[in-house]
Amino acid sequence: MEYHNTLAIAVLIPLVSFTILALFGHRIGKPFAGYVATAAIGLSCVLATQVLVGWVSADDEVRRQLIDNAYESRVTWADFGVDAIQVHVKLDSLTVLMFFMVTFVSFWIHFFSLGYMEGHSDEVDGTSKYHRFFAYLSLFCFSMLGLVVSSSLLFLFIFWELVGLCSYLLIGFYFDKKFASNAAMKAFIVNRVGDVGFLLGVMLVFLHLGTFDLDQAAARFATQFHNGTGLFASDFTLFGYGLATLMGIGLFCGAMGKSAQFPLHVWLPDAMAGPTPVSALIHAATMVAAGVSLVARIFRLLTPEAQMFIAVIGCITLTITALIAIVQTDIKKVLAYSTLSQLGYMIFGMGVGAWVAALFHLMTHAFFKALLFLGSGQVIEGCHHEQDIRKMGGLRRKMPVTCWTFFIGVLAIAGFGIPTLHFGLGGYFSKDEILAVAYERAFNWPPTIEGESDAGHAASNAPSPSTESADATMAASQVRLISHPETPVARGAILADATGASTTEHEEHAGPTGTEQKLRIAAAMPVLPAWMYWLPIIIAYVTPFYMMRCWWLTFCGKPRDEHVYEHAHENWKMWLPLVVLAGGTIFCSFFVFRNLIHDAAGVLADATAVVAIDGEAASIAEAGDGAMMTLSHGPGRSPHDALTWQVGFAWVIGMFIAWLIYKDGLALAERIKRACGPVPRWLEQKLYFDHIYDNVFVVGTVSIVAPIANAIDKFIVDGAANATAFVTRVSAFFTGRQLDMPVRKGDIGLVDWIVNAIAKLTMLLGSWIRRPQSGRIRTYIALTAGTAAVALLCVLFSDVIVAVCEQIKAGFNQLLAGDSVVAAQSATRLGD
Amino acid sequence: MAVGLNHYLILAAFIFSLGILCMTIKRNAIGILIGVELVLNAANINLIAFSKFTDGGVAPAGQLAAVFVILIAAAEAAIAIAIFMNFYNSFQTVDVDRGDELRG
Repeated sequence: MEYHNTLAIAVLIPLVSFTILALFGHRIGKPFAGYVATAAIGLSCVLATQVLVGWVSADDEVRRQLIDNAYESRVTWADFGVDAIQVHVKLDSLTVLMFFMVTFVSFWIHFFSLGYMEGHSDEVDGTSKYHRFFAYLSLFCFSMLGLVVSSSLLFLFIFWELVGLCSYLLIGFYFDKKFASNAAMKAFIVNRVGDVGFLLGVMLVFLHLGTFDLDQAAARFATQFHNGTGLFASDFTLFGYGLATLMGIGLFCGAMGKSAQFPLHVWLPDAMAGPTPVSALIHAATMVAAGVSLVARIFRLLTPEAQMFIAVIGCITLTITALIAIVQTDIKKVLAYSTLSQLGYMIFGMGVGAWVAALFHLMTHAFFKALLFLGSGQVIEGCHHEQDIRKMGGLRRKMPVTCWTFFIGVLAIAGFGIPTLHFGLGGYFSKDEILAVAYERAFNWPPTIEGESDAGHAASNAPSPSTESADATMAASQVRLISHPETPVARGAILADATGASTTEHEEHAGPTGTEQKLRIAAAMPVLPAWMYWLPIIIAYVTPFYMMRCWWLTFCGKPRDEHVYEHAHENWKMWLPLVVLAGGTIFCSFFVFRNLIHDAAGVLADATAVVAIDGEAASIAEAGDGAMMTLSHGPGRSPHDALTWQVGFAWVIGMFIAWLIYKDGLALAERIKRACGPVPRWLEQKLYFDHIYDNVFVVGTVSIVAPIANAIDKFIVDGAANATAFVTRVSAFFTGRQLDMPVRKGDIGLVDWIVNAIAKLTMLLGSWIRRPQSGRIRTYIALTAGTAAVALLCVLFSDVIVAVCEQIKAGFNQLLAGDSVVAAQSATRLGD
Repeated sequence: MAVGLNHYLILAAFIFSLGILCMTIKRNAIGILIGVELVLNAANINLIAFSKFTDGGVAPAGQLAAVFVILIAAAEAAIAIAIFMNFYNSFQTVDVDRGDELRG
C-alpha cells in the first residue's frame, strides 16, 4: 500500500475510537473504554512503524516516487472558484519520524493510563468520567497526527486548534476542582494569544503568497525574495520589521503559544493540574513539540530578522525557566519547567539555524520527558497523590524500576555522554549540536570559503571583480568555512553579492543553488551576540543540577515522611511503559533518527533567506546535498573542540553539586537558600510573571474598562433617564393643569369618558392579544413560523389572490352599477 | 440522474422544516438551539446551492455569505448558551416551558 494511504488511515483510527467512545463510551464502561482507545493508537503505531521501516529501507528514488504519489493523491477540500484549497498527506522523513514518535509515545502513555486511571476517582456527580478521559486522549491523538501530516497551513491551523481544544479538555479533566478548571482556561486563553499571531501569519501567507500549501508558499517566497516583489516590495513596517519578517514572526507566535515560549510560557506549569499521563502526553511529548515542528515546517519562510527573534525568545525562555526549576518543590512542576527549558533549547536551535539538531533534540526529548513524566505519575500514584518532593525520599527501595528508569531519563536530559569518545545518550548529542551551531553563529560568522591550508593565497590570486571586499570580509571574520575543496570558484563575486545586492535579475526560483547560494545567504545573516551563546552554556550546567535534585530528593536518602513511604508501591501496568520508554531513550541516541531528520533537511535546499547549519557533517556534500551549511573545521576553531571543555562534563559537575547539597536531606539547601537573600523567593514566585499578567491584563482591563463603563452608565444611561424624567415633568405640569383643573363638569366627564373608553378598549385588546403571549418560547416560534408561512403563501399565490380580489371587485362594481341603474330608473319614473 | 438545483432546495427545505419542527416541539433549551442551527444551515445550503448554479459557479459570494452565517451562528449560539446558563441558575432546569414568567 502507498504510504500516504497508510498514514491517512493511521490518522483516522483514533478518530474512530473517539467517535465510538463519545457515543457509546458510557455503555462500554471501565476498563473496556480504555482498551478501545489503547488498541486504536496501538494500531496506528503498528502502521506508523511499518511506514518507518519501509521508509528507512527505501532509497532516494523510491522515496521520491512515494512523495510524488502522495502529492498526486491530493484532494480539493474547498473550491472558491478562483483558488482551490488542496490537501494531501505531506510525506517526507520528518513526517514519518514525527508520526512514529507520536504514535509510539502515545501508545505507551495510553497503556500507562490504563493503570493510572484504575486507582483514580473519576466520578463527578455520580457519573463516571473514565470513558471521557480515553475519548479525549483519542481525539488528541487524531488532532496531533493530523497536524503532523498536514501539507497546508490552513489544515495545520485547524488541527492546531483541535490540539488546543484537547489540551483544554484534558487539563480541565478534574473540572469540579477550581484550580483545574482555572488552569484549563489559562492554557486556552494564553494559547489564543499566540494563535492570533499565527492566524495573522497564515493570512499574510495567503494574501501575499496566494497559497496555503507549504512547499508552494516556500517556492513563491523564494521568487519574491529574488525579485524583490510581493512581500519584499511592501514598505510596511512595524517595530522596525518588514512585512516578510512580520509574517515569519506571526507564524512563530503560534509556536510561542503551543511550545510555551516566553512570554506565553505561563500556562504550561499550571497545566500540571491535569492527570499525569496527560502531562506526559501533551506537555512533554507531543503538543508542545508541535510548536517546534511548526517552526521546522515554516523555516523556509523566515527572514534573518525573524530567525533572530526566534533565537532571542528561545534563549530567554531556556534561561529563566531553568532558573525557576531549581526552586520548585512539586515533582511535576520541576518537570514542567525543565520541559520549558528544553523547549527553549529547541526553539533557540531553530533560531540559530540548527534545524537538524533542534528536531533531533525534539525526538530525544519526547522519549525521555515522557519517561520522566510517567515516572513521576507512578510516584504520585504510589504515594497517594503526594507531589511534594520534600516529603518523599528513599523511595528507591519501594519503587526500584521507577527509580532506575527515572535515572536514565535524568541522565538523558542532563546530557550524559563522554566527550571525545562519541558516546552518550541522545540528549547529549542533540544539545551539543545546538550549542555547536550557536558557537559557529557567534564566533565563526559569517562563513567564508576555505580551500585547504593555503586557501588564503589562492583567494587573493583568484580573478575576481571585487577582491578588496572579499579580502575585507576575510580579514574581518578571520575564519574559514570548509566547502568543496575543488571549487574555489569566483568567490569574490559571491561575496560581493553577499553584501546585499543579490536580489536582482533572478527569474522564477532563481539563483545558483548549493554551496554558493548558501554562502551568500549566510553572509547576510547576523552574527549571534555572545550572551546568546553563553546563556545556553550556563544553563547546560543548571539542567543536570535540578534534575539530579529532583531524583535524589524523591528516590534517595532517608524517607522524610513515614506515611508517604509506607504507602509507596508499584504497578506493572505503570512500570512496563517506563521500561519501554527507557529503552527508547537509549535507542534514540543512536543515529537512526538523526539520519532521518538529516534526510528531511533536503527540503531546505531552496531556502532563500536563511540557512540551516548541520552540526555534524564534515562537508557540504554530506550536509544534505548542499541544503545546509557545515561547521568550521579549521584548527582551533572547531566548535566541537571548544564545547568539549566548555560543556562536555556539565552533566557530571551539575549532578555532583546537586548530590553534595542534597545528600543529607534539605538542611544544607535551606542554609544556602537563606544565604542567597531574596533571589530564591523571586524564583519561587516564578519571577512574578503571573503577578504581572494579573495586574496588567486582568486588573488593568478592569481599571480601564470600569471607569468607562461607569461614565457611560452615569452620563449616558442615567442622563437619558433623567432627561426623560425632566421632559415628562414639564409636560405633566401643563397637561396636568389642563386636565385636572375642574372648569366645567362636562369637560371632566368627557376626559374621563375618553380615558375610560381608551382603558376599556385597551383592556379588550389586551385580553385578546394576551392569549398568544403565553410566555412560552415554543408558542412564539410556532406563531412566527406560521405567520411566515402564511406570508409566504400569500406571496406565492399572489396572482390567485389578486384574481380573486378582481373578481370580487368586479362583482361589487356590477352590483353598484345595478343599483345605480335601478335608482336611475326609479328617478326617471318619479320624474314622469 | 444528475443532481440539480431543485435537489439542493428540497433538501434545504426539508432540513428547514425539521429545524422549525424541532424548535416547536422540543422543550429542552439545547434542543431548541439545535433546531436553530438546522434552520441556519438549511439557509446555508440554499446560499451555496444558488452560488453553485449561478454564473457557472465561479462567484464565491454565496459561499462567503454561508461562512458569514456560520460565524454569526457561532456568536448566536454563545449568547444563547449564556442565556440558558442563567436560565438554569434561576429555574434549575432547561425546560423552556417552565420559564413563562413573561406571559401576558
